[in-house]
Amino acid sequence: MSTVPERPLEQQITLLELVDRVLNKGVTLTGDITLSVADVDLVYVGLRVLLTTVSTMERLAAE
Amino acid sequence: MIYLYAIAEGLDGLPEVLGVDGAPLVHGSAAGLDLVLSEHAAGELDASEEAVLAHARVVEALVARSAALLPARFGRGFRDPDALREAIEGRAASLREALAQVRGCVEVGVRVLRPEPAPPPAAESGRAYMEARLAHTEEARELHEPLAALARAATRTVGATPRLLLSGAYLVEPGELDAFRSRVSELEAAHPELTFVTTGPWPPYSFAPGGET
Repeated sequence: MSTVPERPLEQQITLLELVDRVLNKGVTLTGDITLSVADVDLVYVGLRVLLTTVSTMERLAAE
Repeated sequence: MIYLYAIAEGLDGLPEVLGVDGAPLVHGSAAGLDLVLSEHAAGELDASEEAVLAHARVVEALVARSAALLPARFGRGFRDPDALREAIEGRAASLREALAQVRGCVEVGVRVLRPEPAPPPAAESGRAYMEARLAHTEEARELHEPLAALARAATRTVGATPRLLLSGAYLVEPGELDAFRSRVSELEAAHPELTFVTTGPWPPYSFAPGGET
């Protein structure tokens, strides 16, 4: 978990964009089932990347 | 359980990457469309950062091997091959339409940040609040439209957080990428107070049906 903030800025932003796309966009179809244990973990993974990266972007914007 | 990575047309063999949980990829088809899948025991899959990245790697590797490709959203599975086939057949027309739209294009993401959060709208009047909201929308539109003009299709989210002025996704032909990046630079030069973050090229996640959130 502590490895995330150590990633270079550009890589973090790219990771945020990637996770946003993979988790929130893309085809969904009627009848598909979300991974049974996934919900909590997915929110956690997404949120963790989002939080570290938003702070990075804000630091970048302040420079 | 059948796990779906992408729906494609003209898929030329599977790439040598493994799917989530190290599962081998499987080439399926339904309604004349190529499907990229992996098979798992029910309840076997865990969502993790590694699984998200594995999904993304598969999609990325498929881009160069297909004539057109729609990434699937992470974390969705189907009980069995019949359930998947029925789901594809029920949406075949809109999937084909979406594949035609993304064919030959890549997605570029542009986020624009303000230096400071937008000042909270004056509490004293609803009218001031509405004016502040309108100004914000107008500012985002002035950034979005010149970029959308260079794209085959575009989507945007306005003001998802107070500092995020624009979050746009643009479907761009590779030949237009340089022109697109130049236009981002022009907008950047015209708005030195804003921070522009351009990412991509991405597989067309934001232009896949059902990817509205």
